[in-house]
Parts: sequence; structure tokens; C-alpha cells
Amino acid sequence: MTIGGFIIKNALRNKRRALLSILSVAVSLFLLVTLLVLLRELTTPMQDADAAMRIAVRNRVSLANTLPYRQRAVIERIPGVAAITPFTFFGGKFRNEDIPSFAQFAMDPVQLTNVFGEAKLPLDQLNNWIADRSSCIIGIETAKRYDFKIGDKIKLVGTVWPADLELTIKGIYKGTPDDRNVLFHHDYMDEACGRLGIVGTWWVRAKSLEEVPLVVERINKEFKNTSAEVLAETERSFVLGFISMWGNIKILIGSISTVVVFTLILVSGSTMSMAIRERFRELAVLKALGFRRHELFAFILAESFGFAMLGALVGVGGAWLLYTNINITAATKGMFVAFELTPRIMAIGFGVASLLGVVASIMPSISMARMSVVQGLKTLD
Amino acid sequence: MALPLKYNFHNVIVRWRSTLATILGIGMVVAVYVLLQALAVGLEQNSANTGDERNYLIVRKGATSESVSQVTREQFRYLQYMDEIAKDEEGKAVLSADTMVLVSLPRKEGNGEANVLVRGVMEKGKELRPQVRLVAGRWFVPGNREVVVSRRLAARFQNFQIGEQFHVPGADLKVVGWLDGGKSAFDSEVWMDTDEARNIFGRENYTSVLVRPVDEVAASKLKGRLESSKQIAARLQRETEYYREQTKTAGPIRILGNLLATIMSVGAVFAAMNTMYATVGSRTREVGTLRVLGFHRHSILLGFLLEGAILSFIGGVLGCLLALPLHGYATGTLGFDTFSEIVFEFRLTPELLARGILFAVIIGLVGSLLPAWRASRVPVISALKSV
Repeated sequence: MTIGGFIIKNALRNKRRALLSILSVAVSLFLLVTLLVLLRELTTPMQDADAAMRIAVRNRVSLANTLPYRQRAVIERIPGVAAITPFTFFGGKFRNEDIPSFAQFAMDPVQLTNVFGEAKLPLDQLNNWIADRSSCIIGIETAKRYDFKIGDKIKLVGTVWPADLELTIKGIYKGTPDDRNVLFHHDYMDEACGRLGIVGTWWVRAKSLEEVPLVVERINKEFKNTSAEVLAETERSFVLGFISMWGNIKILIGSISTVVVFTLILVSGSTMSMAIRERFRELAVLKALGFRRHELFAFILAESFGFAMLGALVGVGGAWLLYTNINITAATKGMFVAFELTPRIMAIGFGVASLLGVVASIMPSISMARMSVVQGLKTLD
Repeated sequence: MALPLKYNFHNVIVRWRSTLATILGIGMVVAVYVLLQALAVGLEQNSANTGDERNYLIVRKGATSESVSQVTREQFRYLQYMDEIAKDEEGKAVLSADTMVLVSLPRKEGNGEANVLVRGVMEKGKELRPQVRLVAGRWFVPGNREVVVSRRLAARFQNFQIGEQFHVPGADLKVVGWLDGGKSAFDSEVWMDTDEARNIFGRENYTSVLVRPVDEVAASKLKGRLESSKQIAARLQRETEYYREQTKTAGPIRILGNLLATIMSVGAVFAAMNTMYATVGSRTREVGTLRVLGFHRHSILLGFLLEGAILSFIGGVLGCLLALPLHGYATGTLGFDTFSEIVFEFRLTPELLARGILFAVIIGLVGSLLPAWRASRVPVISALKSV
């Protein structure tokens, strides 16, 4: 019998325990990677190629404050500005959903391709949308979820804005990091609300990457000490600002992950010790046969490391299979979009597992090393 | 039916080394469960604590929350002279037109910015909300650019100490006092004069109006009048009800807590099972002896189940003890109802602790069911022969 065979035979002689150990490691690692993915989803801004060129302009007081429409002409004249569109969150209710799974924004349809170039849709659909003031385009995810087709109507009941809108779908786009939004004519909303002359935010595209910081500065300076001071910032810092509002929830999820790892090490470590304690007599026999201490160490380590790795394979692999195969957007009613198990998170999962494998073998190894052969042979338990 | 109770109970203590890890493991699961639920409870209590039964909130028709509502000055003038609204000794109507503005302000320790809810109130606004007390400094003087901030927010945002000033576009606001909302939603607010707030933030309209009707009959009359009136077209809701419905933030936390607890409990069941199998396995001879002494199979089964329950009960109590120091600890996050920073506390209620312990005992029972069944099936002769 080879050494490897010996280790495997030993590990599997109590099949039930082996299975339970592997499963408990698997469950804990599944949970750990899920938490890490959740944390990533909450804290990492979605990136796309165009984002670096885009600038978000909001009211300096806060995002909830509006901006006057007259600012558009001023921003258009600022050097370095390639395109600008108003972008106003409508926040309407759809059917009986209090918080619909899709957001609705009013914008200037002509500027869609100039400012949000990553949104792709057939040219005829785009032109149909531009031509019809009471129409909208929707993201492909929303189209799938509600089984919307071109020509269908969406009725939105205003909560933030004092108007109800009925929009005809003229196009379906895809290619943005979150293909769910409903986009419609700002003009149409203005008219329905009684020409309030205000917008939520401005989104600007700079002419080149080098000009982005300059444009940001120019826009901020332009409206300083006016009745509607603005905060222009790159799309990235705009999104990061959102994330910082989460506050302590991030720390909370981080601490839970730590507790999970700690519990995992504790429980699996004790199971390993239990398995070794049962075998004290045999280990003593091995010692008597002339096996050296470090060889016995290796037996214990290999067994516990093997269990931990198998557990990681089942837990992390299971999480990977689950999150790549289910439609997370639909399952969480639009709360999460990407929920991606990145290679980095996988590496963390396996890293924790190998650490666990090593730590779990330390305690039994120490007691094994301490025991004398005679004492070991006498053990009954 | 006689149970080997003493035997099982002593086992937990005598073999503490092998049971300790399981107990700790279950303890951790319970601690995480209890803490997350305590967050949700804290948030819900915050909303439930807010408001006065006698008050009614008036918002624009169709507005789902105060922050998206608008009440024009003209509408307010109509309201002021309605007979249904209570009057004070001087004959003034007891109502306050509030102006709510979300202001993005820097957090302490460079933790980025967060939205803070600034509420402009009228003189009566303070009387209408007796749960809001001034705990330091003085109230703002109408017409001055002064604010009173919540003591809890003061711990989280820059320049919120009394005497300090913070900048908002177009003005510097001076902090002249601290308020305490008595663990209500007002703990997450900054208060100032309503017309001053409208001026500084360029609001033509008020946000909402809080009124106190003469009595319940007047309240329902007022409701009918407002909802049918063309000039006002507003919605009337009891203040306490309005806040009780603000549960958009607590919901997801509760779901996260339940989800985590479910997954972790599966892991804990495996661990408990492992421990119990090992205990049963190493005690085959003892089980045999018990059988010879006359204990029935069922007694053995129940005895071991009980042992698992005792084990996990200790774990559950331990978990609660681990979580308990966080009771009353204030934390904050983005509130989905107001889109602003809300401050709330972990609330570990007795009911919640009981649920945590019950949860632990269920884990223990499920985990020890199979091992206990196995123990009860051990043939007496072979059990006694085994080493």
C-alpha cells in the first residue's frame, strides 16, 4: 500500500464523518463567497468604456434637488463639452409594484447615442423613438421580464412628479451594464407636469479624456454663487458617492464574513481533532513501527487539507454554478444585477480553505507529537 | 417512561472538550441571526416610535412619502382657517407647514458624503412633536440661519458641534442646539425654521403640513374635505401610520438576516451531527449498559435528542450573550424611504433572544436526530462487547 493510498483509506474509513466534514466546510465557504459577492455588488461601481468620458452634474445641495432648465444652454457653450442631455429620475409606480424593478428616466432622445453610446439598438427603432414624443425605449432585461414587445404601452403613475405617463415602446436596447431602464422624452414629461422648467441631473460627454477634469472644473465654476449651484463629477465618483451612502452596512457584512470564517475554522478544526483522537492507538502503532513524527504530521495534514479542499470545491464551485446559471436580476426582483463570482473572490475562498486545512491539523498534530508510544497504545477512547 | 436524564446531562459537561466547538459554532450562528434581526427591529421600532396619535400629516395627492410631496403656500392658507383644526389658547391653528430638503454633507473621518434630512418647521411644529426634546444649546430663532441637529447625527457628521457652522450652497448654517428624538425617525433630522429653509434652498412650496384636528370626528371630516377639494387635492394620513409604513429599509435587512441564518444553520446542523455521531460512537458500551439496566429504546432516543437540545441550548444562550453587548449600539445607513442617512440602534428584545435560543435548539434537535436514532438501535450484546 502506498502512502497516498493509506491516507485516502484512513480519511474515508468513517464515510459519514468525511461527508459531514466536507459538507460543513462547503456550506460555510458557500456563505463566505456569497457574502463577498454581495459586498462587491454593493461597493463596486459598474464600469463601462464610455464612463470615463462622462460627467454627471447634480444640484450641489443633494441629488434630490433639481436644476433649472436654463443651465443647458450655458453648459453647451462650455469648451470641451461634446454633448449634454437632461436626465431626470421619474420614479413612477408600475402596475402594483411599489418599487418597480426598472428605473425610468426622462432625457433628450437625440443625445442618447452621443452621451450613452454603449446603449445599442437598431437605427430604425432609435429614429422611431425620436420621432414619437410619447414613446420610450426599454432595456432588454425589462423587456424579457415583463414580456414587452415593440408597440406595447407602459403606464406609469407619478410619485415624485405630479403626472401619470403612458408610453409606447418603440425600441429595445442592450449593451449597458444594467439593461433595465426605461428612457423617454424629457419634453413629454415637462408637458405632462405643466412645464416646471426643471431637470434632475445633466449628463455631459467631454470631447476627450484629457479634457474631462477641465470640463468638470469649468462647469462647477460656471454656476458658483448662482441660485442653483451644481456639483459636476465624473461618472465614477458620482457612483462612488452613492456607495458611500451605504454607511455601516458594508462594515456589517464584512464583520459577518469574519465571524463565518472564524466559526468555520473552529468547527472544522474540532472535527479534525475528533477524527485524529479516535486514532490515537493506531498512530502509536505507527510510531512503534518506526514512522517519524514529521511523517505522521504529513498524514494528518494531508487528510485535513484534502477535506478542506474538497469542501471548497463543492462550496465555491456550487456558488459559481448557481450564480452563473440563475438570473439573479429576476430572482432578487432587480435588487442585484451582476452578482458575479470573480476569480479574486474564488481565490479568497480557496485561500481560506487551505488556511483552514492547515490550522485544523495543528491541534491534533501537537497532541500526537506529545504522546508517548506506551501512552498511545493504552488509550481506549 | 424513564429517561436517562442525568446521564445525558452529565455527558455534556464531562465531555466538554468535544462539545465546546459545537456549542461555540451554534453560538456564532445564533449571534449573527440575533444581531441582524436586532438591526431590523431597531429600524422598525424607530418608525413605530415616531409620531403622535393626535396628529395628521397632509401630503400631495399621489405622493408616496413626505420627501416627494409639495404643498403650496396657497393650499397652506386654506388649511390655516379650517374649523376642523384645533386652536391654541391664543386662537392660532395648531399646524406646521414643513419644508424638507436633502442636503449632501461630509461625514466625519473623511468617510465621504451622505444625504442628511433637513426639516424646516414652524413654531407649532415643535409643540406637535413633544417627543423631540432639546438636549443642549437652544432652539433656532426664526429668521436666523440657525439649525438644531440631532445629537445622534452630530456624532456622525462634520461641524455638527454646537457653535460650529457648516456650509450648504448659498448659506452657512450655524448649529445652536442638539435635539433628541427619543429613538424615533427625528433622530436622523436637522431642524430649522421652515421659511428660512425655503429661502436658502430656493423652494417656492412647502413639503407637507402636520395638523392636529380638534377630534377624531373632525379628522375624518377634514380627510373628506381635502380629498374632494379641487383647490387642495391632498392626502391626509395619521402621523403614526405614515411612519409605521416606512419599512423599505428594514425589509431587505430582515431578508438578508433570514438568508444568512438559514445557510449558516445548515452548516451548524452538519457540525452538530458530526459531534453527536462521534459521541454516540464512542459511547456504544455505555448505551449497551443503559439498555441492560432497563432503559427502553425510546428512552435512549429521547435521551440523546435531549442531549443535543441541551448542547444547542447552551450554544444559543452563548450566542445571545455574545450579541448582547451590541444592544443599544447606534449605527447608520441609507434609508430607502427618505433617501437620507438614518441613525438607529440594535434592539435586542427578549422576544428576539427567545427566538434565537429556539432557533439553536431546533438546530440541535435536527442535528442529533439521526445519531440518537442510531444509538437507540444499538444491539445490546455487541454494544457490551465493543471496546
